[in-house]
Amino acid sequence: MSRNTVDKALSMLRSLPRVALNNIRDNPGSKMTQKRGRAQHGGDKHGAGNKGSGQRQNYMRLGYETGNWPFYLRFGYEPYYKGHHLRRQYPPLTLFQLQMMIDTNRVDISKPIDLVSICNTGLFRLFPDQHQFGFNLTEEGADIFQAKINIEVQWASELVISTIERAGGVITTAYYDQHSLQCMINSKKFFERGVPIPKRMIPPKDAIEYYTDPSKRGYLADPEKISHERLVLAQKYGYELPVIEKDSSYEMFLERKDPRQIFYGLHPGWVVNLKDKVILKPQDEELLQYYNS
Amino acid sequence: MFLKRLPALFLNKCNILCPKYQHISYLNSPFVVDIENKKVNYEVTNSIEDWKYIERALAPIVVPIPTPKDKYPSEWKPQGQNLNSKPYFIPRTKNHMLPVYLHISQRGIRRITKVRNIQGDIWLLERHLRDFIQPLDIRPIRSQINEFSGYIRFYGDFVNAIKHWLTKHKF
Repeated sequence: MSRNTVDKALSMLRSLPRVALNNIRDNPGSKMTQKRGRAQHGGDKHGAGNKGSGQRQNYMRLGYETGNWPFYLRFGYEPYYKGHHLRRQYPPLTLFQLQMMIDTNRVDISKPIDLVSICNTGLFRLFPDQHQFGFNLTEEGADIFQAKINIEVQWASELVISTIERAGGVITTAYYDQHSLQCMINSKKFFERGVPIPKRMIPPKDAIEYYTDPSKRGYLADPEKISHERLVLAQKYGYELPVIEKDSSYEMFLERKDPRQIFYGLHPGWVVNLKDKVILKPQDEELLQYYNS
Repeated sequence: MFLKRLPALFLNKCNILCPKYQHISYLNSPFVVDIENKKVNYEVTNSIEDWKYIERALAPIVVPIPTPKDKYPSEWKPQGQNLNSKPYFIPRTKNHMLPVYLHISQRGIRRITKVRNIQGDIWLLERHLRDFIQPLDIRPIRSQINEFSGYIRFYGDFVNAIKHWLTKHKF
């Protein structure tokens, strides 16, 4: 091979595109398509077999049992789980996990705990698009739980409520709609989008009863009735209710969100600019009316 | 001739296949009716009081360091001091936990306990752990030591037992 040919080949290579996944193909002849034989024995059955629906290509309908009463019609319809794909889900977070987060400083108990601070630990993930509407604080670890906290959950049992209150804390159950939850699961990402904080919607018809019930510590319940229910639960479970009014962090225990609020201290309608560290607050009467109603 | 034409073809194809990337959002789609440039009255504030609430809503960038406390109801304990004198050492993970894990395989039949990130005399640690675990099982303990990667694997679920032993020895 002369030098000229080598140079030509190299210059050609230089102008050619790199070999990549988008420009390679199989070797010629590596893939053989099957052909239908036509000769003396090649043209016998062509893979369709001998006799029956296989040969005649007249298959039975799905579920048909050639004369039997079909299995799919043999029993009555019992829709136990009707609408399960539409129901609200509350993935569990145990009291033990919460205590572990407190012990390892993953959540700050000097401030109220809510879904935002639980998601900010990075140890709990929520998927609102999969019909998850917040977390359910469950009973595991109720015997060791000892922290004084102001916590807002989406679902809690009676034992969990009594455990939190026995330790000298406060618990509220609160509802968030899907748009609010999308803002809460990753607050930094939400603020960076530069859209106004939405207003929280009221619970749907079938959740109103739970969130207005003082025995469930609903956020829409009458506060006086809640304090009465606190006493009732203390008598039922047989413990002396700690006096939170005399606690040094009483002000923190009183901190609650407005039913329209998503983040503590931030009003719906505000736009947060993380880069310049400023907050834009709307002043139009129309907007104020919308976000306050 | 054909080869010379190829690069140009390739380039053209590339332009068609990779148009300028645009973030897909309903905010990017044009309005059906032109609503002009509507101005909204906004008050720009940089009050420190409000910004405290923003900082509260934002996640910490790194995992917080646990402060020493009087009691730990969850039985988690921080790593002890002065572990230099011991022949082996296991550093905590970035989440301040013990690197002891349970691997379940074969449809839940095989359970293997793995102790990771072991530094120092791994053979001695294996002997100590084996002596502690052996009374918990009637069968002889089977184990595997990987000195290069610094892990020990025990056949069976001994996660809580090993964690208990390690916390007792202040790891």
